[in-house]
Amino acid sequence: MRDFALRLLHLDRRIIFLLIGLATLLPLLYPVGLPVRVSPEVRKVYDHLESLPAGALLLLSLDFEPGGKPELYPMAIALLRHAFQKNLKVLGMTLWPAGAGLAESAFAQVAQESHKEKGKDYVFLGYAPGDANAIISMGQDFRAAFPTDYYGTKTTDIGLLTNLRSLRDVQYVISLSVGFPGIDTWYVYGKEKYGFELGGGCTAVSAPRFYPLLNTGQINGLLSGLRGAAEYEVLLGIKGKAMAGMDAQSATHFLIILLIVICNAVYFFTGQARGRGR
Amino acid sequence: MSTEVLIGAWVATGFSLFMYSFLYKDNPFFKLGEHIFVGVSIGYLLTVTYHQVIANRLYVPMVQQGKWWLIVPAFLGLLILARFFPPIAWLSRISFAFLLGMSSGVAIPRQISSFILQQVQGTLKPLVTAGDGGRAWLTFSGLNTFLILIGVVSVLFYFFFSLEHTGAARRVARIGIYFLMISFGAAFGYTVMARMSLLIGRFDELILYSSAAYGYATLVLLVVVVIGLLWWEHGRVSADERQS
Repeated sequence: MRDFALRLLHLDRRIIFLLIGLATLLPLLYPVGLPVRVSPEVRKVYDHLESLPAGALLLLSLDFEPGGKPELYPMAIALLRHAFQKNLKVLGMTLWPAGAGLAESAFAQVAQESHKEKGKDYVFLGYAPGDANAIISMGQDFRAAFPTDYYGTKTTDIGLLTNLRSLRDVQYVISLSVGFPGIDTWYVYGKEKYGFELGGGCTAVSAPRFYPLLNTGQINGLLSGLRGAAEYEVLLGIKGKAMAGMDAQSATHFLIILLIVICNAVYFFTGQARGRGR
Repeated sequence: MSTEVLIGAWVATGFSLFMYSFLYKDNPFFKLGEHIFVGVSIGYLLTVTYHQVIANRLYVPMVQQGKWWLIVPAFLGLLILARFFPPIAWLSRISFAFLLGMSSGVAIPRQISSFILQQVQGTLKPLVTAGDGGRAWLTFSGLNTFLILIGVVSVLFYFFFSLEHTGAARRVARIGIYFLMISFGAAFGYTVMARMSLLIGRFDELILYSSAAYGYATLVLLVVVVIGLLWWEHGRVSADERQS
């Protein structure tokens, strides 16, 4: 028994990789459909979007690049579907240069399935260089900050932007952020000065950083990680990419917890902890 | 399905498998993928920056719209490149001084307001709230506020080094350590969740690309990578045997 325990402690790490791989792959191939409970911080973003009247301006800043795609892209899709369902006018942009292509594909995909027209129902402005300076510039003169949209059309010629002078005219801003610049940049240089309501979405790894902002009401809601995206899909009543991944997420978490418990039990059982203590 | 989508799927699948091959051990597939990733990322960033910044925000407004004053920031930007030429490297300091001064002026007041004043305000909420009829109640929200207050004070005390942590001070600092440990645990839990999400995202696409519509890209390339790894491993073993 002790030999078996010692062998477990020196298990080849590639076996653990294989187990994690299987725990991820099998639920994706054969989904179980485990229930997903909606957290208050996700509901707040949903409720705020619900409360906006048709035609209100929503600015969706997709501040991520391909590394954040698995978690933030499903959020972007779910939020865009909701915004278009509510007939909101959506402005899209990114503060990350490598994120422009991804963000554009999210807008193009959801606009096509929702039968929304570019320039009339939504505008994709592309990458805004300068991090905080870009936000300040948009607060002072929106069209000067974006002389053209992503496709090269002059913003002075886009009907949707006719009455948009600055960020003060935007009703709700949501930043889906993978790091800096992101939610905190939008809060510090945008919301505090120009007074719009701000919501956020972030990767799970950066979520603990934003809970203090949520607690003080500096942001009104937060979608964190793939789970946040899945919760939003539950609220919309759709089964998207995030929901499909939740079974795999639960399975891998269960496996990791199991491995931690087994390893600790074996560690104490074999007396290695006492040896280390001496 | 268009040819470009198909090629994109095969390239994405191939490079995903190259990168995952590192889980076996460091190998030429991984190194190839890593180097191409670095090159492509830099190339893409340069292209996007050229189009979105130099062309759209400098050249077009300056040349086509007559906003000639944009020559000033353009000149300041060019001065930064003077660092590459030692005799005139000092010129770059002008641009850095401008950047530093402007950034500090913009950031310091806003950061203090957002991350210190507002956070302190959020920490100092009333613990007891008045319910119906003016009676005071300790609610769950009040309990949260109480926990936040104890956490903030004890962690701050833990990092207060002007007083030796003995007696009561040691107990307060110890509570601070517990709060820190819980926050590290939560952060680690979120990190695991994030990494698993990345894996799920890649697997999701690999499953998609394993369909007939994409020419069974995942399955074909998986076989290619496995055979390649076996061939590489065999070559390595043979070389070791020859040396010994």
